[in-house]
Amino acid sequence: MNKSRRNFLKTSAFMGASIAGVASTKPVKGAPKNILSDDRMGVLVDTTVCIGCRKCEWACKSAHDMPTDPIEKYDDRSVFDKRRRPDAHALTVVNEFENQNGKFPIDVKVQCMHCDHPACLSACIVGAFSKEENGTVLWNGDKCIGCRYCMVACPFQIPAFEFDKAWSPDIKKCDFCFDRTKKGMLPACVEICPMEVLTYGKRSELIRAAKEKIRLYPERYVDHILGEHEVGGTSWMYLSSKDFAQLDFPKLGKNAAPGVTEAIQHGIFAYFIPPIAIYALLGGVMWLNKNRKHEEHGGDE
Amino acid sequence: MKNILLILFAFILIGNVNAQVKKMGSSHSQKALECSNCHSCDIPTKENPCLKDCPREVIATTKQKPEEGPDVIVINKLKGNEDLYKEVTFSHRLHAEMSEMSGGCITCHHYNPPGKIIGCDNCHNTSRKREDVNRPDLKGAYHRQCMDCHRQWSGNVECGACHQLKAKEPVKDKLQAGVKKSHPKVETPEKINYRTPKAEGKNVVFFHKEHIELFRLDCQSCHSNEGCVKCHDQRPASKKPKMSVDMKHKACSSCHDTKAKDNCVTCHNDKEAKGFNHLVSTGFNLGTYHSKLSCVRCHTTQGKFTGLNKNCNSCHGNWTKENFNHKVTGLVLDDIHLEFDCESCHTEKTYSNPDCTSCHDDYKYPTNLPGKKVKR
Repeated sequence: MNKSRRNFLKTSAFMGASIAGVASTKPVKGAPKNILSDDRMGVLVDTTVCIGCRKCEWACKSAHDMPTDPIEKYDDRSVFDKRRRPDAHALTVVNEFENQNGKFPIDVKVQCMHCDHPACLSACIVGAFSKEENGTVLWNGDKCIGCRYCMVACPFQIPAFEFDKAWSPDIKKCDFCFDRTKKGMLPACVEICPMEVLTYGKRSELIRAAKEKIRLYPERYVDHILGEHEVGGTSWMYLSSKDFAQLDFPKLGKNAAPGVTEAIQHGIFAYFIPPIAIYALLGGVMWLNKNRKHEEHGGDE
Repeated sequence: MKNILLILFAFILIGNVNAQVKKMGSSHSQKALECSNCHSCDIPTKENPCLKDCPREVIATTKQKPEEGPDVIVINKLKGNEDLYKEVTFSHRLHAEMSEMSGGCITCHHYNPPGKIIGCDNCHNTSRKREDVNRPDLKGAYHRQCMDCHRQWSGNVECGACHQLKAKEPVKDKLQAGVKKSHPKVETPEKINYRTPKAEGKNVVFFHKEHIELFRLDCQSCHSNEGCVKCHDQRPASKKPKMSVDMKHKACSSCHDTKAKDNCVTCHNDKEAKGFNHLVSTGFNLGTYHSKLSCVRCHTTQGKFTGLNKNCNSCHGNWTKENFNHKVTGLVLDDIHLEFDCESCHTEKTYSNPDCTSCHDDYKYPTNLPGKKVKR
């Protein structure tokens, strides 16, 4: 499936021709329900344990060959004064939130959630995104044309664009350390986390463990696993002592994000009937107008 | 007949199980626990509790003195080639000493089946990539244990407090330092004046020494679950927790009734209060013998220290001239006075100074004595 841009253009030209010719195609589901493996992996983030050491930020940059400060510099906590977002220079960031009187602040790591039904994948017009069998939502630079639809589509506003690069800018987002997990290694952030805030395992197992934690320590956790059902489920899931809205998480429904958009998009082009109908309607109007003009002209004679 | 025996046996079995459930104590049964969380067999007994190695609940069965444990532990169970940091030297004895006022061994050894103390790696997997994701791996377990306290000191996360980067040259031998380290003796203050912001009764003087020496309270009876931060708080005032009225009173309210309105003046005064003196406050001199007793020996109703009868007989009802050894008062009676009933000389029920006038016109205690003074 290693397609180049040239190949993509070729196929799309062919597709266009065939659509025009046959005027009917099978609707393609953007959300890859077929690929969701029962054994897909995930990460459970227990924000009640996180101490905000930001070692994950360092590990992430090191693993992705991105420029980074030495690890000792990450002890500096003044970065928490500002709320940060993952960007082209940091695929994951930790934010700190004030807690109730006397309790430790709450630290929350932010990165791509690796949705089960990714909106970025659905929005991408060239198929540069893929949902891998282990749960990873992967971006493929060879196909990307830089339209940045994925950035608009993402409900968590994760994909970032290298605006400072004039030549071949990339879309940057967490890739769940796909190159590492392929080799049987842990994602870099999971491996370095001193507190094991990030537990890596089968998504189904993690949900079971999270529910057990909530059951055993109801005073410690709110009864909600963020990502279990949000936008149709995500590979990364969160536990918290506070309502997630207070930790800057967007309030999202249970429906997969691509659900609505795909229904509209695919609806419009279903069996090519609506376009033909519109053309027919417009043609009809034109034909009527022409006839009327003709009659008016004839009346004058 | 066989059936009847079987039913009888079943009843006995059920009875046994019930008895054991009760024995486990309220804290045990109040938790959202299933028997199978901790026990591997269906009917655990005292002899064979068949405890699983690793339930997550707090059940420690071992209590040791700080000296009994190891002085220093080198934490090297997680050695890897790509480690950032050197192995950690943990001053176990120092931490054990510190834990005496903050929950004891159980603070860290949160689960220990009967027998010797087991290492963290008995339950916590050394590998982060594992099947069972229910409990943290060893690295996570260590850090969660340490950071709960260490984070409190400054509010910061300082890896350097325990870890030394591998690349760096050794600054000093931490192992040697750890052996020698012990927590400095905690000095107890004479008294502490907690000034309240209120205009009325702003002085609350707590007589610390008095509570230890006079009221004979153990350190642990007040300082039981305290974090290190109680003394070592380096946070700026704005980051320190604000105490509610209830929280401020909590330390006292286990003995003093802080809820009753009339009781405020017991502690809250406009002027700095003077220490407690049993004679001044109650009119009863504790003397040599009573001052050796803890308060509850006489004031048996918990938390209430009023309304005791000052008559000796109210407590020591069965003393007569036959069974009372007068020597304990510091005076050995001579043979003549030994014959008299107690009431002949001690006309008052408090058995304080005797009255000699019924026999001797111009004798007076203590100028004239009915015997010999001795050291008591």
